[in-house]
Parts: sequence; structure tokens; C-alpha cells
Amino acid sequence: MLELKNLYFSVQSSDHNGTLRNIIDGIDFTFEKGRFYVITGPNGSGKTTLAKLIMGINPITSGSLFFDGKDISNLSITERAKLGIAYSFQQPARFKGITFRDLLSIATGVDDEKKFLDMVGRVGICPLSFLDKEVDARLSGGEIKKIELAITIASNPKLAIYDEPDTGIDLWTIGPMVNLLKKELTPKTTTIVVSHNKAFLDIADVVIIIDKGKIVYTGNLEKALPLLTDLSICAYHHTCEGDQDAGCLR
Amino acid sequence: MLDALDKKLLKTVADLEELPKGAYNIRKNGKLLHREISANINIETNAEGTGIIVTIKPGTKNESVHIPVILSQAGLYDVVYNSFIIGDNAEVTIVAGCGIHCGSPEPEGHAGIHDFHVGKKAKVTYVEKHFAMGEGKGRRTLNPTTKVFLDEGATAEMELTQISGVDEANRLNEAELGPGSLLLITERVLTEGAQTAVSTNNIILHGAGSRANMISRSVMKGNSKQIFHANMEARNKCFGHIECDAIIMDNGTNETMPALKALHPDAELTHEASIGKIANDQLTKLMSLGLTYDQAVNRIIQGFLK
Repeated sequence: MLELKNLYFSVQSSDHNGTLRNIIDGIDFTFEKGRFYVITGPNGSGKTTLAKLIMGINPITSGSLFFDGKDISNLSITERAKLGIAYSFQQPARFKGITFRDLLSIATGVDDEKKFLDMVGRVGICPLSFLDKEVDARLSGGEIKKIELAITIASNPKLAIYDEPDTGIDLWTIGPMVNLLKKELTPKTTTIVVSHNKAFLDIADVVIIIDKGKIVYTGNLEKALPLLTDLSICAYHHTCEGDQDAGCLR
Repeated sequence: MLDALDKKLLKTVADLEELPKGAYNIRKNGKLLHREISANINIETNAEGTGIIVTIKPGTKNESVHIPVILSQAGLYDVVYNSFIIGDNAEVTIVAGCGIHCGSPEPEGHAGIHDFHVGKKAKVTYVEKHFAMGEGKGRRTLNPTTKVFLDEGATAEMELTQISGVDEANRLNEAELGPGSLLLITERVLTEGAQTAVSTNNIILHGAGSRANMISRSVMKGNSKQIFHANMEARNKCFGHIECDAIIMDNGTNETMPALKALHPDAELTHEASIGKIANDQLTKLMSLGLTYDQAVNRIIQGFLK
């Protein structure tokens, strides 16, 4: 349902005479309908950048994206949203004078009190106190993340992308949240979660590990774990010469 | 009688479709058009004949007064002095506002000088909207002055809005707070084209336990300019906060100057101020929900000025 073909995203490097540095370095991958993907990898490996390229928040440098067979490479964020792609931000925007109800209404195109109450109940927040709250700086990190999730789910997307949905969420809410995202997944939707959290990795149909802008692993969690442990421990893994390397500090 | 134009102006500034229920005073082109008083609310012309005195009986509950002004006479600059005396323990809503229709090259303007004396434990909600329209090229000017005196335990909530079409506005808000009183001012101003708006606010917290919160939201479109001064002075153990946010669009400019003076060791005064364009993350979020760039901008501004 979503095909990434030879995808690149480059920025001008500040320390190499302005040469181009590939943040996403030639990614080919096909996401299939109805499956739950978790993208993981070391900090700065390009996970969020890849998610943003799919939503159109960052423009691709080269390559192409096909969504349900349609080339969306040059479509705007708005056009991609209208095709059914939704995005939950790691750091959700805060507004002055815009309520949770307003955002739900924009996302769903209707103002249906009953539907909204049902939705906020599903993400585990108290509907009555939350619906008319302004989505502003007074909300806690956890509250705004729950609102962000609810808005994404409410828009009933074909492809839902969640960037680090557990940031700021209390420990005892992560379990229910993981279950919720899994439960909201229907045969018609595809879910992509960017996360380091094992709770998400545990339920993934496919784990994708990204390192230095490339996909270095796709498959189940069991086989991913040794690689993940390695990547997370050593910042020099990409130049590692193994046990023979006399300079290794581990 | 009200003609179609009067009705449109009244609808915009006072949300009135027809003549309101309860007490009201409608002023058109510098003259009284309609007046109605109620058992608890008296309206009379002042001794000089330059405005009205609105007196609310002590203990009045859940009543409202509408005092809109409409202007559609070329070359007129209407100045009016209105006094509001709100009796102890009364609760009242006062809806004011000025709508200008300018159909000629001649300038038109209005200056409403309002003073409020709010009695002990009384509560007043004051809603004021300013709006101008019309195909004429004449300058439309609105220079309101609002002075508020809060007695012990009194509350005043003031919503001051300038919607659109006003070429020049010079507003002065002054307030003096007695013991345990509460003042909430929310000012929203949208300017566009070559319009200018200046707002000066002087708030003095005299009484122990008094509280004041001033919120200002400004949007500058086109080449318009806004200047905002807020001076809060604490003379007792009290709490005061100023929050001023300005969104710049196009080539608008803004100067914001919040000033705090604590003249008592137990005074607590804070302020936060920000000026800038619409935040990118807000636009991106709304576009990711399917709005176009322009729709997202409008929705953010609409919320900001709500």
C-alpha cells in the first residue's frame, strides 16, 4: 500500500564545505495493508525523518513514494492527509484558543459529540473534562500526547504514523496505549510506529531497524534483538572491526 | 426606526438582531435613537447632555444592558461620556460597541469615554466590540477610554475587541482595584492594510488581596501596526499578570511593552510576552489534518482571537 523507491533526503553538511549529507540514504521498502510496523534504531539514525518524508513534512531529495499505487512524491501534506495518511507528532503543536473538540472536528470533518466522546474514552482520557480544553501550553506532556493519538485515530486513516507515541506518557498508560494502537489496526489500515520502546516492538508484525539513513534489518523482533543491543550500546558500530579491533573501548 | 444598515452594524457590534430585551440605549450619529429602562436598571442623559448615566440597583442579578453606538454620517466625530454605577452585590452584563459605516471620502469617528464604579462584591461583565465598514475612503477612527474603579470584593471582566475596518484606534484602559477585587481584561485587536492601533493600559492594584489579569492578543496583517503598553502597579499584597501575544502576518509591525512596578514587598507580578509569525508546527499539524495552508492560517488566527 505504501512503496518507498530509492528514497533519499539530503542536507548540506555544515562542516564539509557544504557537501550533501544523506540523512535518508537510498531506502526501498513496501509497507503492506493491515500490518503493524515499528521503526527503530539509534538516535539520529533517520527514523523521524523517514516518517516525515512519508507525510510530506520534509520534501524528498530524490526517489519516489507510491500510496495505493498513486505517486505521491510531489503531493503536499494536505493532499496526502486527504488520501488517508495521518501523523502523530513526537512533540505535538500547542495552540491558543483551539480546543480538543476543534481539532477532532477538523480531523473528522464533522462535529459529532457522541462520536467524540466515544473516541476520547477509547484513548483513556476523561471525555467531559477534556473535550473543551484548549490544546495549549497548560496541558501536561502526557495529556497532549493522548490528545494527539485520539486525533489521529479519529481521522480514520488508511496509514497512521505515530512518532514516539509514548514520550511523556506515564509508565502505567503505555500498556493500554500499545493495546489500543494494535486494536485500532484493522485489515484496512497500516500502522507505522517510530519507537525505542520494547512494548511496541513486542507487538510489531515487522520490525524495521534504521541506521545511518539505511534500513539494516526487517523482520521479527527475535532476530532483531542482538542487532538492536549492539546498535544501542556502541556509537562506533558502523566502523567496528569486531573482536580483533585493538582500539575498541568496550 | 432601524434601517438595514443600522441592523447590520448592531448585529456585528452587539449581536442584536432586533431591539434587545431589558434596558438599552442606542445612539446613532451622535443622537439618542432608542432607550428603554427596567425596574433595576436606570439610564438617563447626564447633566451636560454629553452622554448617559447607567445605574444598576444593588443586588440586581442576571440582567443586561445594551448601549451600542452606530455612525453613518460623513464627517462626524462623535464623543460620548458614559458612566456606569453598579450597586453593591449586583451582577450585570453590559454590551457596548461601535459600528461605523463610511460611505464617503469624509472621515468618521467615535470616542466613547466610559467610567465604571463597581460596588462592593458586585460583578460586571463588559463586552465591547469595534467594527467599521463601507466603501467610502474616509478614515474611520475609534478612540475609546475605559476607567474602572473596583470597590472591595468587586469583579470586572472586560472583553474588548476590535474586529476589522478601523483605520486608527487609540485606546486607553485604566483601572484601580480595591481590597479583594478582581479584574480580568481580554483585548483582541486585528489590524490590516495601513491601519494603526495603540492600546495603553494602566492598572493600579491598591487593595490587599486584589488580583488583575490582562490578556492581549494582536494580529497584524498587511502593513498595519500595533503598539501595546501595559503598566501594572502593585501598592499592596496582591497578584497581577500580563500576557501579551502578537502574531505578525505579511509586513505588519508590533511593539509590546509590559511594565511591572511592585511598590509593596508582598506584591507578586508576572508577565509573558511574545511576538512572531504563526508557529510552523501549528500550521503543519492542521495541514496534516487536511486543511490547506490558507485554511490553517485562518483557523489559527480565528482561535487566537476567539
